[in-house]
Amino acid sequence: MSNTTEFEIKKPKVDLNYASEKKPVASDPSPEAKPLPKVTIDGKTYEFKPGDTIMQVAERYKVHEEIPRYCYHPGMPIAGTCRMCTVEVEKAPKLMTSCSTPAADGMVVHTRSDKVLKSRTGVMEFLLTNHPLDCPVCDKAGECELQDYNYEYGPGTSNFKEEKRVFEEATTKKLSDQVTLNMNRCVHCERCVRFTDDVTKTNDLVMVNRGWHKELEATTEAGLTNDYQGCLTDFCPVGALTWNDFRFKKRSWFLSKKPSICDRCSKGCNIEVHSDAEVVYRYVPIHNEMVNGHWMCDSGRSSYNDLMNPMRVISPLMNHQNGLHSTTLQALLGELSIQLKNASSVQLVIGTDATREEAALLKDKFPSILGKNVSVSYFNGTAGVTSSADDKKMDNLLKMKDLTPNTKGVEEQGISPLSQGEVSSDIVIVFRNGRAGIPKMKAGQKVILWGVWNHDEIKTLSSQTVLGVIAGLATIEKEGSFKNTDGIVQKFHPAIVHKGGALSAHQVVNMWKSLN
Amino acid sequence: MATINVSKKYTVKEKTYLPAILIGMKITMKRFLQGFLLRKHDTILYPEKKRDYSDRFRGMHFISVDKNKTENCTACYLCETVCPAECIHIVADERDEDQNPYGVKKEKKPVSFDIDSLRCCFCGFCEEACPKDAIKLSTNYELAVSSREEAIYDLDHLKREMNGRSEK
Ligand code: SF4
Ligand code: SF4
Ligand code: SF4
Ligand code: SF4
Ligand code: FES
Repeated sequence: MSNTTEFEIKKPKVDLNYASEKKPVASDPSPEAKPLPKVTIDGKTYEFKPGDTIMQVAERYKVHEEIPRYCYHPGMPIAGTCRMCTVEVEKAPKLMTSCSTPAADGMVVHTRSDKVLKSRTGVMEFLLTNHPLDCPVCDKAGECELQDYNYEYGPGTSNFKEEKRVFEEATTKKLSDQVTLNMNRCVHCERCVRFTDDVTKTNDLVMVNRGWHKELEATTEAGLTNDYQGCLTDFCPVGALTWNDFRFKKRSWFLSKKPSICDRCSKGCNIEVHSDAEVVYRYVPIHNEMVNGHWMCDSGRSSYNDLMNPMRVISPLMNHQNGLHSTTLQALLGELSIQLKNASSVQLVIGTDATREEAALLKDKFPSILGKNVSVSYFNGTAGVTSSADDKKMDNLLKMKDLTPNTKGVEEQGISPLSQGEVSSDIVIVFRNGRAGIPKMKAGQKVILWGVWNHDEIKTLSSQTVLGVIAGLATIEKEGSFKNTDGIVQKFHPAIVHKGGALSAHQVVNMWKSLN
Repeated sequence: MATINVSKKYTVKEKTYLPAILIGMKITMKRFLQGFLLRKHDTILYPEKKRDYSDRFRGMHFISVDKNKTENCTACYLCETVCPAECIHIVADERDEDQNPYGVKKEKKPVSFDIDSLRCCFCGFCEEACPKDAIKLSTNYELAVSSREEAIYDLDHLKREMNGRSEK
């Protein structure tokens, strides 16, 4: 494990711009390096790497209030179109856009001088001339950069007495099944256009017409087609692009936000789980340069729906007179123990969505509880993937072929993959967290289900005999770690508290132990 | 431990009780004669007659509607956010296009809007927070109900006919 990097998922303090592969100066220790150039921002002097813009230097040190911006986004090329980020540079005749002006040695910058504040007030007033200000119905309200900056810099009144521009067609226009556009709210920062041009490279969006009539359009009839549409709704600074799955479900200020990890593929994107009263409303990506940058894919973003599915099994179920019935865990484990003791052979299949800790626990501790030989193997279940060697990139960004999060982490425990048709024991225990596939089993096979299951999945096992279901916790509800496809181990803590009757694998194993 | 003596020594006048009873009788007789001879009452015959309250009185809530009987509420949740008793519960959804109240495309509507009047403290913050002048408190103070369920005002109840701030 020498080349393994291990870290905990948490919200990074410095959310940085590394479209340009640059690393923070602070982590650049080479002593023989030439003295770095220095720039003075608001009276303090900072070292920077040649090539940094003023905005990037200020971002890196986060030493004073954020420089307001609309068009600048750390993960995208610089455009310099919105003029919100202007700062005063001494000896320069005019205000400079900090996002696109390279810092120079000896430069003296003022980010909050009177001249700068006046300019920002002017920009705000212009942006608001045509803005509908329908915050009450706008999903962005509460996390809207237009609201925030207007509160800080806006003029509070407007000289614009004319009728506001309304895009009749594009007031609620579905750009795809997932994204809705309200063109009236757009501030023309063109982050979305640059994202589809330079990040996904799908060129789905384009601005047509000019000035007053400048309008965002999809380039094809089909609308948006890329797999990262949710990101558009994250970084659109206003409520012009909204995510249909979240639209009107909750106001943003009710959400509590906890970091976790996406378990929809082997990439392991860092996410923030937004929930209220332990109900998840959305996932948004958090910046981690080593794993996902600023982004996450749409299937990952929607994957919370599986956990909030009313069909999910959240209490122990026992087979009684050919039907599964809710019971207590004690009763279930007692019954299963008897069945397992009498079984001629027992097999345990661990899904590759188990955490490293769960895999270790099940492999090392679990057989001793039963007091018999248990053959342990892992099962991935993604079409075409048996082990981590089959994993490959599906596009130029994040998506991986392996749709389970921890194949490498389970392999690391010395468990080997289940080969087809190998489920041959008297009783087989299938442990999975809702992401790994279900192995093929012969008709009449006795099986114990453990982890995250839903009733629809259990129905597909109608020709087998399900002895019982031990409800388990999903990734965002528990603690553990995954090793992603690049060998990075990421630890995570519970983002929401499970409100049903499911227990963690450790709790179940401890209870099982105390029963025997 | 210091104790506070709260017992009191009664005077002879108090011990005999009679003077106090006479004072009471005097007041009773005065009111009786005022009402009987001069027709001057301090009470009213309540259900038949009602008192006038100030227009600013905060009673049972209602939601104002436009001429198409569509609620003015756009489900912005500001009342739910501000409510100190946490007694407003809204579920929002997209408004159908043919149901647009003003001929303008309005995106959002409440599919359910419940106020639990048993928890409400009639502070009127919801009325103040509402950007659409939708939720208001009427001058109706007759809030008695025969079951707890009736005390939860749903959207239909809140959209009832109102004449200004009093019921029609
Ligand atoms: S984009 Fe921002 S300012 Fe505009 S309506 Fe939405 S929340 Fe309000
Ligand atoms: S839709 Fe949003 S991201 Fe795109 S240009 Fe308009 S404001 Fe910017
Ligand atoms: S009057 Fe006050 S307590 Fe009652 S619903 Fe309105 S905000 Fe809540
Ligand atoms: S504040 Fe007004 S518009 Fe907003 S949800 Fe409440 S009643 Fe509706
Ligand atoms: S952020 Fe610099 S010009 Fe837009």
